Amino acid sequence: MKIYRKESDVLHILSSRDESAEIGDYLLVKDTDSGKEMIVQVIDTQFANVPGLLEELLRSLPDGSEIVRGNDFDPLEIAPHVTYIQDSNMLRCKIRASLGKRGLSPSGSWLPSRSRSTIEKLPISSLVKIAEMNGKLPIIVGSIKDNTVLTIDASSLDGKLNIIAGKKETGKSHLSKLLMLCLLQYGATAVVFDLNGEYVSLGLTSDGKRTASHNRIHVLTPSQNFKVALGNLHLNVLLNILVHALRLPGTSTREFRRIWRSLKEKGILTLRDLGDSIRCWNCNHHVRDALSSRYHALVNSGFFTDNVAEGVLFEEILLRTRQGGGIIVVKLRDTSSADRQIVVEYVLGKLVELLTSWRLKAVFLFAEEAHIYLRETYWDDIVTRMRHFGIFTTFITNQPDTIRENIYRQADNIFLLNFTNEHDLEAVSRASSVDAETVKSIARELPPRHCLLLGRAVRDFPIVVRVRSLDIKTMGETRLFFTDTN
Amino acid sequence: MLMIQQLSIAATQRYNFPHRNIETALPTRFIELSIHSLKHINDVPFQLNQHLFQYKGNLQEWMEFEPREIQSFPLKPKTQETVVTAVDTSWVKIGETRTGVLLAIRGANVWREAKKFRYLRFGPLIFHISEENKESLLGSMKEVHSKFPRTHECRVPSSFWQIPMRLTYVFERSLQFMLSENMSNSIILFDGSLTSSMVEGPSQSMKQVLSVARKGHNVVLALSKATTLRFDGCLITEIPTENWTPCLFKINGLEPRPPLEFLGHVYVARLARGGYSFRLDIDKEVPISHGIEATERLLGNDLFSQNYPETLRLAHILCTFTANEIIGMQHYVTHKYNMRISTKPDIHRLLFGVFGKGED
Repeated sequence: MKIYRKESDVLHILSSRDESAEIGDYLLVKDTDSGKEMIVQVIDTQFANVPGLLEELLRSLPDGSEIVRGNDFDPLEIAPHVTYIQDSNMLRCKIRASLGKRGLSPSGSWLPSRSRSTIEKLPISSLVKIAEMNGKLPIIVGSIKDNTVLTIDASSLDGKLNIIAGKKETGKSHLSKLLMLCLLQYGATAVVFDLNGEYVSLGLTSDGKRTASHNRIHVLTPSQNFKVALGNLHLNVLLNILVHALRLPGTSTREFRRIWRSLKEKGILTLRDLGDSIRCWNCNHHVRDALSSRYHALVNSGFFTDNVAEGVLFEEILLRTRQGGGIIVVKLRDTSSADRQIVVEYVLGKLVELLTSWRLKAVFLFAEEAHIYLRETYWDDIVTRMRHFGIFTTFITNQPDTIRENIYRQADNIFLLNFTNEHDLEAVSRASSVDAETVKSIARELPPRHCLLLGRAVRDFPIVVRVRSLDIKTMGETRLFFTDTN
Repeated sequence: MLMIQQLSIAATQRYNFPHRNIETALPTRFIELSIHSLKHINDVPFQLNQHLFQYKGNLQEWMEFEPREIQSFPLKPKTQETVVTAVDTSWVKIGETRTGVLLAIRGANVWREAKKFRYLRFGPLIFHISEENKESLLGSMKEVHSKFPRTHECRVPSSFWQIPMRLTYVFERSLQFMLSENMSNSIILFDGSLTSSMVEGPSQSMKQVLSVARKGHNVVLALSKATTLRFDGCLITEIPTENWTPCLFKINGLEPRPPLEFLGHVYVARLARGGYSFRLDIDKEVPISHGIEATERLLGNDLFSQNYPETLRLAHILCTFTANEIIGMQHYVTHKYNMRISTKPDIHRLLFGVFGKGED
């Protein structure tokens, strides 16, 4: 391999077919004279622009209907040398880092010698060592091309904003389950908004047996085993539900606050008393109508109850996870759109409440297709304010354009599965930790179950990994009509 | 102790063809010459060609003549099934060493039978020519083909650059001989003219080729893309005529200056409407009527693009070198003979920059 040219942070390397590298591979450019090394990643492979090639190909094209057939008598055996030139490749490589006396640095501003530099493939296993990706809390994500295991450090997800994106059936949920279970092993608390009921069997093996972590996985189904007694609810949490999920206007919110305080003072904070108070409250009839409609929405959701025994103390479950960790699966599958928002507002409100009072250290929040249930203002809130409280979110989506650009810019880790749609790739490529070219060239070629890791977890060295399988009961399979006929 | 690599010279391959059993043995001596010329270049610096240029095996005519008359022969295409064959060769300089030059030669035989084209391509053969080996190389040339006459002496040309040309001519004659010997009742197309040239020397080899072709009832037609022959101050290929039908114009009264010798009757060929006219030489020993009839069979059996027979065009295309092949050959000599590529400044470019009008 030889350096052909350098344009900005892209190095063009000429290589023969025998030594050719594939997209995603890493190369080490060694300049012994300067004592420096450059780590580059192949982002595209092209045929080298060999002069006269077009002429040669035209020569071999069929003339009219039939190709001109013949024999070549090549006593010196030069044809393999011509083929060697013809098949030579140009590798477009992105400069990822430099290695010098001071160690690894992200700079690629120096120019290696074109004539004296040697270029060799850099195995991912060596890169992992160079970049010190292995931490004290390893998470085995899967295997890389040479079948060696790739691990990331769990602390690289700690306090970070992560995005798992990929088109459907590429294994997004599988990867998020893997991360969740690994975090659980290290005693972390995770909350997942399960939109399709895919995470409810996290505690079961594929043959239905209980896993070792079964007891630490709590599946909460709103209106069934997840109800909230009004008396246990903080006013602010309820106001958030009313304002953001049920869009209660400001004037009506003030009146509701008064009603709430009045009932609390009297010690009769029940659904029935709340309804009675709204009905009898001395206020503008428009305000009363507004409050009344929201009240009925709350009642109809089935999420609230007056029976304290029936109400699940979400707070208690969360606090229980402080010892040994736990996963709380909030199943939103059979919940209506409005009720989903109520539940999400409640969960987030409760989390913030516990985190701000330091009763809970931190929570890893996994939000699948968050645009469906997360209000607009929450996006920024989650990635900026709530992160400081200790909510570390992982967004999981197959529609990357539903996540706003500023979220991508702040993402610390991106787990990218296959995308072929240019529009989707464009959206993901806005992430600050990686260049658009890398995303577009590598993500498009990813086979199912393969993931491109970008960001802090891989020390900003994009790596393709085949996600390892998990022995858990699969619940994310699409229901089919023709299953019996096949 | 430095050991020189032992070069193995394998027996020349033979090919079987589906339609025609052609004796395709390329003289082993030719391959030996190539390999022996290269064996002393091990581990020497090798300067890539700054101006890659490529030569066709065409010869320049230096002659004076005064044609007396032009006679026209209208042509009617004859579809009587005839095999049309063509030979062409080409050489290219691929680099320089301290002592000489490296050049590559390639040739192609193409034939059209049952409306299908087939080809046999020979080479590339790479030669290293230096002042030291040029005489021995030329001396060996006369033994290059066992059936060629050995009566004449190969003179060492005054110009170094005539050596590659002569080498190419011997190679081309070899291929022409091969076709002439193996074909029967066919039309054999040569590129160039049927003139024994200064470069080639007063060789009898062309006469031998034509004689062998005649024995097999073949007719040799040689087409020149460019000619210096003039009639009334006008190039013979540019003589205006109103007649557009396929036609041959015979140029009578041509007298080449010795030692040049015309081995064919010279015609101007206009084989189709529009397009270009070409100089056409038809073997002198073939009766004129047979020569005309052979041209008519050519018209009925070959494809024509811009008045040029496709078989000969393919032979030309197949033997010329592409830039990629030149790089491939340079790769071959550097790897096989451990030649080190060195880059000398291009003096022409240095002196004249963009204003220089060099070989390129």
